[in-house]
Amino acid sequence: MTTIMYDAYTIFWRELKRYKKSRSGVLIRLIQPAIWIIVVGNIFSETQPLIQSVGFEGEYIEFMAPGVIILTAIFTSIFGGVNTLWDRRYGFMNKALTSPISRSAIAIGKMSAISLIAALQASLIIGIALAIGVTFPNPLMIIPIMGIVILFSLGFSGISVTLAATAKSQETFWGMINLLGMPLFMLSPALFPLELLPSWLAVIAKLNPVTYTILLVRELMTGVSEGGVPILLSIGVILAFVIAMVAIASYVFTREVNKPF
Amino acid sequence: MYSIETKSLTKSFGDLVAVNNISFSVEKGEIFGFLGPNGAGKSTTMMIFTTLLKPTSGKALIAGFDVTKDAKQVRENIGFVQQETTVDEYLTGRENLLLQAKLNHIPKNEINQRIDEVLELIELSDKQDQAVVTYSGGMRKRLDIAGGLLHHPKVLFLDEPTVGLDIQTRRKIWQYIKKIHVEFEMTIFVTTHYMEEADSLCDRIGIMDHGKIQVIDTPENMKNALGNEIISLVVDTNNNHDSFLEELKKIEFIKKINEDNLKLTLFTSNGTEVIPKIFQISSKLDIKINSISLTQPTLDDVFISYTGHEIRDDDSKYNRRREHAKMKRLRQ
Repeated sequence: MTTIMYDAYTIFWRELKRYKKSRSGVLIRLIQPAIWIIVVGNIFSETQPLIQSVGFEGEYIEFMAPGVIILTAIFTSIFGGVNTLWDRRYGFMNKALTSPISRSAIAIGKMSAISLIAALQASLIIGIALAIGVTFPNPLMIIPIMGIVILFSLGFSGISVTLAATAKSQETFWGMINLLGMPLFMLSPALFPLELLPSWLAVIAKLNPVTYTILLVRELMTGVSEGGVPILLSIGVILAFVIAMVAIASYVFTREVNKPF
Repeated sequence: MYSIETKSLTKSFGDLVAVNNISFSVEKGEIFGFLGPNGAGKSTTMMIFTTLLKPTSGKALIAGFDVTKDAKQVRENIGFVQQETTVDEYLTGRENLLLQAKLNHIPKNEINQRIDEVLELIELSDKQDQAVVTYSGGMRKRLDIAGGLLHHPKVLFLDEPTVGLDIQTRRKIWQYIKKIHVEFEMTIFVTTHYMEEADSLCDRIGIMDHGKIQVIDTPENMKNALGNEIISLVVDTNNNHDSFLEELKKIEFIKKINEDNLKLTLFTSNGTEVIPKIFQISSKLDIKINSISLTQPTLDDVFISYTGHEIRDDDSKYNRRREHAKMKRLRQ
């Protein structure tokens, strides 16, 4: 067990080193969520009466800020697995596979690095949100929020690593990511409250772990709970999602890398 | 104990048999060259040895461990330097080696000393803190090789270590390989397409083709087996010429003599033993030899003689779709 932790940390260390050295990547990953929060946040600012009708008092931008934080986490982590494909193409993977470290340690190291990177990107978005006037009633809440973002991103990095390990080409990978990322974001209360979704959409949204994460983060950020979902249920759903995804990713990764690329 | 031992090793992909029932062994401390044309099955064999592929049947033992059953022990005892350079461009040279050290579980308190040691060996100590993106191709390769031997593996696998490098760099890499071999007493298993490289580096060579090992021997024996060494000599006089020729023909290794006035061309084997005999005869007959040269058939000739006469499949059997599928699988 300690060996697997040490090995996972080795991979984690390498991934973070690579992240740190690609400054342009840090910025590029910020553009999309920044556009969401700045542009979309203002376009929809007139919808304030709509969200007030479900008991939310603040500005629209404050309502959707948690959604954009989670958007950042979703997209940073779901794209994060792509370097698995590069590693297989350019030989680093074989180098790791012929060393004594275990296959699942490679997967776990990658997932933890991706989730930390996603959380770092999300914290930059929190910074942008604060800069454009979003307020935190209780600034200390940032700590549990970051914890949730890390945990949630770990689950999504699991999806990413699973897809990257299965995909034989970049095209397949990006196709799958696009197929998954946007719908999971849209089918959640990221932009509008659950109560305002048509009921069939609300049912689908309730099957989506993104929904529970956004509800939880929004409750911690603004103090308003919506949709009658208890905090513990949200935490439970997130935990179950993360455990399932990490387990699936480790299993699929181990199985796939043993096949020739 | 052998460093590498295979028994009826076979690997097939569907109906394509990439490695066909091969059995051979490499002794401890040997530099073993593994040659063969593209698609011969070399890479597949190498992948089985390094635990990246499981054999379909048969056995392969590396440093005494079974690649299928004791994969982890095999991995602990091998270094693998791939054909592509696999160093991380954005990390520094030293960081790359640190990563390699951690991947191979080198004890923490030894890591720095080991890294210093190999950096010195490959003469990159002064560049160690620069990002690899600033390194030349040769430097990257050296760093890659250093990574492969950092943990002092018992068997080092080098897949085409000098492909794409200029001739000076290539020779430099050979020197490093020889140095490593002496310093760490490793068994080195190297694939290459450069005959000259195999000739100058390897104790023994195996030539693989069509999934089978066609021949294994020392480079010297292989070339001798071909038997066509060429001795050219020029004498200064026609005196005693006929008896000189008579005597020469009695040397058992000489197969044929061509004469062109004062110049003689002898087709022979074991040329290095023949030359002193020629001198004995000439001094007995009081014939002065003005010049003599021995040219040896190169390993290229040996290689071609085992693999090259025909273009893979003859036209009648050529099936485009099948060939396409085969190449696709082999490239994986």
